[in-house]
Amino acid sequence: MASPVVEARGVTRVFPMAAGPVTAVNGVSLHVDAGEYVAITGPSGCGKSTLLHLVGCVDTPTSGSILFESRNVAQLSESDRSRIRLTRVGFVFQRFFLLPMLTAAENVELPQSEAGAPAADRRARTHELLEYVGLADRRDHLPSQLSGGEMQRVAIARALANRPALLVADEPTGELDEATGDHVAELFDRVHADGTAILLVTHNAALAAHASRRLTMTSGRLGA
Amino acid sequence: MTPFQLAWRTTKRYRLRAMLAIAGVTVIGALLFDMLLLSDGLLTSFADLLTAEGFEIRVVMHEGLSRVPIPGAPAIAASIAAFAEVDDVAQIRMEPGSACVAGKQPARVTIVGRTQSRPGPWRLLSGDNVPARAPDGGCPIVIGKPLANALDLRPGSPVTLTARPAAATVIPPLPCRVSGVVDFGFNAVNELTAAMPMNAFERLMGEDHPGDAELILVALRPGADVPTVQHEISTLRSDLRVYSTEDVVAQFNRNAFAYFRQISAVLSFLTTTFAFLLIATLLTVSVNHRLGEIAALRALGIARRRIAAMLLWESALLVGVGAVLALPVGGVLAIGLDHILRQMPGLPERLHFFVFETRALVIHFVVFLVTATAAAAYPIWLSATLPIAPTLRREVVG
Repeated sequence: MASPVVEARGVTRVFPMAAGPVTAVNGVSLHVDAGEYVAITGPSGCGKSTLLHLVGCVDTPTSGSILFESRNVAQLSESDRSRIRLTRVGFVFQRFFLLPMLTAAENVELPQSEAGAPAADRRARTHELLEYVGLADRRDHLPSQLSGGEMQRVAIARALANRPALLVADEPTGELDEATGDHVAELFDRVHADGTAILLVTHNAALAAHASRRLTMTSGRLGA
Repeated sequence: MTPFQLAWRTTKRYRLRAMLAIAGVTVIGALLFDMLLLSDGLLTSFADLLTAEGFEIRVVMHEGLSRVPIPGAPAIAASIAAFAEVDDVAQIRMEPGSACVAGKQPARVTIVGRTQSRPGPWRLLSGDNVPARAPDGGCPIVIGKPLANALDLRPGSPVTLTARPAAATVIPPLPCRVSGVVDFGFNAVNELTAAMPMNAFERLMGEDHPGDAELILVALRPGADVPTVQHEISTLRSDLRVYSTEDVVAQFNRNAFAYFRQISAVLSFLTTTFAFLLIATLLTVSVNHRLGEIAALRALGIARRRIAAMLLWESALLVGVGAVLALPVGGVLAIGLDHILRQMPGLPERLHFFVFETRALVIHFVVFLVTATAAAAYPIWLSATLPIAPTLRREVVG
């Protein structure tokens, strides 16, 4: 049996609000094993993205614990969590969040540069990833010169730049039309097939259908 | 991709914002630079004028270089000249008079008499200087350019001088000849002045014995210690006021120039505050505009210090380029303002309000370095403390 990359144990996340505290995630337990492909679906506001942020070490739980590669995330410093996000987690956002002033290649190179990879290795890895997502010929294009689907493929290449153990994706097809969304789904299949664990949250049932394990979230609670 | 490269790309991408910021900093920087030039410019210029005269010590009767005759001035001058450290002593007298040439209206002039062995206190422009003593019956004079222009005089031209306005005196006019045209450092723009050896001056005044000078100028030998000689001169007579060039500058600084320094200090502070507010506002707006981008960068594991360094470089680029462009703009502005201010009546022609000094340049850049850092502080704090997850969520929901 594969060891879990990340494990949530009875995780609760409460946001203090002016109108009273809101429990976005309520006692959730979850594990994503190495090489596993897990999709979480559910209605808007059910806490999917909050859970994704907790698992991706962007946020810490109000109670319960997140173990990333057996390390309790809540006990790590912000600097250590940042290092995990940089080297062990790849993030794919609904709105891509590519840096608009950098080319596709430079966007992919940025996390590698932050991780201290040598320039020659960065160039080779960037070329390899842009070929992988089918955008080698667009390497010098700015995000504003790319379509939505192309931007998301660059974002996936960026997320894979430092060879993460876990790829987390928050509504990765949310801004794309159906056909483009299908291409992105196929790309996730290839990433999964190449051995990277994936955890994605989506409204898109067709995308979720690609996952090897599908979970449903309702009102902050996770069901099978 | 270094933080500087990221900042440079950001600046290029938001070109219009960057150009507006740089234009704002340039204008503010030009004003700041001018205030810095003004704060010490007049004093520096005044000190330069005094130094250019070539005399390190000035002796007068009363405080403030007032024009009161020094009783027994020739004897005091002789005593001073006897000091080993003293190279030359000049006694200066000044009286109003008039200058006439055939076919021209008489001109009211200031007539200067001086004793000394070396040229000055003026700068020769053309012709020859006057000798230490005028030959018997002769009256060689040097004149300023305004008088040369007014009466169409040049070296060799004859001119008749009369002590005090002609209608009010019975002293006969003295025929003189122009030896040279000079630049009297302390003359106002249109002031008409003629200078001559003291023996010719006494003849012009109808005096049959040496008069009392109002000012004694003392030039020291190289290496002489000014305070020591000052002290020695002071011991000659207790009623003398003995000033070094530094004393005169300090006195004028206290009495006349403190006003400019205070104004320039206040305006410098205001302009720096404007620069700070402008850059802080622009960077804060820019960071607020890019909160999602910054939150995503942090979610990707980009360190806070790298984002902070990027913002600091952005601030430095906007402020740095503006501060550099401010120098030529400020320089041109200073020339224009200097020209306007120098039109004030009675000011020495060679006195400037705005004088370039390396000190002003250094302060200019230090102030802007501090401003750039301070202006980036809040946006950096904003980006470093923003909660990643809620910000990403807000961006998507928004």
